[in-house]
Amino acid sequence: MKGAEFLVKALEHEGVELIFGYPGGAIMPVYDALLDSKIRHILVRHEQAAALAADGYARATGKVGVCMATSGPGATNLVTGIANAYMDSVPMVAITGQVSTALMGTDAFQEVDIFGITMPVVKHSFLAKTATELPRIVHEAFRIARSGRPGPVLIDLPKDIANTVAAYEFHDDDTNEQIAEASAESITRAIALMRESSNPVVYAGGGIGMANALDEFRAFIATTRIPVVATLKGLGALATTHELALGMMGMHGTKTANHAVQTCDLLVCVGARFDDRATGRLNAFAPNAKVIHLDVDRAEVSKLRRADVPVIGNLRYALKALACKLPNIEPWRRECTTAKEMHTWDYDAPGTEVYAPSFLKSLSDRAGDDAIVACDVGQHQMWVAQHFHFNRPSQHLSSGGLGTMGFGLPAAIGAQLAFPSACVINVSGDGSIMMNLQELATLRRYDLPVKIVLFDNRALGMVRQWQELFHDKRYSEVDLSDNPDFCRVAESMGIPAFRVDDRAEVSSAIDRLLAESGPVLAHVLIHQEANVWPIVGPGRSNSEMLHQHEVAREVTR
Amino acid sequence: MIKFTLQVRVKQSEGALVRILGVTRRRRFDLLHLTADTTEDGHFLDILMTVQADRAENTLVRQIEKLEDVSQVEVVEPGDAVSEHRAARFTAC
Repeated sequence: MKGAEFLVKALEHEGVELIFGYPGGAIMPVYDALLDSKIRHILVRHEQAAALAADGYARATGKVGVCMATSGPGATNLVTGIANAYMDSVPMVAITGQVSTALMGTDAFQEVDIFGITMPVVKHSFLAKTATELPRIVHEAFRIARSGRPGPVLIDLPKDIANTVAAYEFHDDDTNEQIAEASAESITRAIALMRESSNPVVYAGGGIGMANALDEFRAFIATTRIPVVATLKGLGALATTHELALGMMGMHGTKTANHAVQTCDLLVCVGARFDDRATGRLNAFAPNAKVIHLDVDRAEVSKLRRADVPVIGNLRYALKALACKLPNIEPWRRECTTAKEMHTWDYDAPGTEVYAPSFLKSLSDRAGDDAIVACDVGQHQMWVAQHFHFNRPSQHLSSGGLGTMGFGLPAAIGAQLAFPSACVINVSGDGSIMMNLQELATLRRYDLPVKIVLFDNRALGMVRQWQELFHDKRYSEVDLSDNPDFCRVAESMGIPAFRVDDRAEVSSAIDRLLAESGPVLAHVLIHQEANVWPIVGPGRSNSEMLHQHEVAREVTR
Repeated sequence: MIKFTLQVRVKQSEGALVRILGVTRRRRFDLLHLTADTTEDGHFLDILMTVQADRAENTLVRQIEKLEDVSQVEVVEPGDAVSEHRAARFTAC
């Protein structure tokens, strides 16, 4: 049996159902072996989309996403997707072909040191040196990708190793390692702090979903009744409609969420990492709060904000152990929920143009409780986070840490393949869609019924917004008024498309979008100067949120 | 600015030393001295490194200890071991 067959057999053994990839010279032995495998290969049209689709698949399912490319440019094209998975702790195995070992280090055709290039953005990486070690490498790669804090693992496979004939040795020794439980001492100290607190807030991050700890988290909140703010990736840990869910915190967070954090006396951080987009100016973040930090990754605790009580280890265990009644926080809880009721979103905007927040709210109300939304990056991404309802984090596929424009369409492809009958929506912008537009051809090829909502403001909206607010309206390279006709582009790739340019058409547009049995694209024109509100300016504290009416007042003054 | 010396034991594997130096640089610790020797059995690499940074020791220690092949990380007191080793001086890594 050849090394390539070892690899494929080992992938089958790990339960891999789908591989996203693109063939080429050095990876050809693996593609040959795939012909005899039950694993389904999805041919994308650019390797970056293979990595991002594997990422979307992993986020939606919790399983390890697998992508594959050839050496050289195929491998370098995967890098953005690998980095995306790394920043958001998504389990992934990336397999790259490599030139033969005798040619490595000689600047051979399509040779690149992908092992070295990806080192800063992988959890671990392997260079296969013999065929017989491949089953062990694959097994280890999957174990590492999904254990503890998940992340991407690279396997670089030289062509001669893939072609080496040897006897297959099966590897199935170590099963998933158990994650250690938090110390009894840390639990006791954390409970003491919670009992002392009169205005605590839970800061919920992506770790809750990744640890499969939704039930434990919800039970913890049901018992303690602590109000919850969420990071971008933490949305849905508590259903966003839950009375204690105060919304997203941070740069584009809700007034209620940011105010609660800024005035709380105890912050219970669960599976989050004090990212700058969430905290605003760090030294002004939650200035009066003590911090309990629950995380599986010890390196995240006290990295940016000192934790008074670190609770390191298995989240499911820690959340169960920490669930206790906190009767003296009732006045604070009422204050938070009252503030939430007072500061609801205003969907009345002047003009006749489509108002994106209102469009998304209506879409969310009608797409059903199980719809999966994959976003790109920019204004539309923040509008999705603000206005869509999520019942679980795996419904919201958003590139948080890396902020990868072009993530949405491939991620939607990955999610739709994982759940063929689910309602999968890609919300994109006219900037982002162009970063992986070629994947419309993949939608058509596999007839995936992804609904694309393309908000078009003829600009790089988020950058334009920053230039307007923080660069004295000096607009630099943000004009996209020469965009192609997106409907004709989609139709040329076999995707039905239609245009929406008046808010009176929104309701029928959503009907049409949801009624379509196959893929469809709605090209939605919005005002060029629409901004995401509220916003915390760069370097500012989360106490200094700018709201639309305040900015308008300053301008007229 | 703090200066300290770390002792790291890592499994001999592809890129092991580069991986540790990469984390050190990315986390903004400057490398001042470094020695690395393979253990007698050939399975591990013992690294002694002195670094300086504006960040706390633990920031680096915890990033290194979570690397897959690292089996041991220990902070050695400054001057404790490095001076005996005539370590090569690196201005960059």
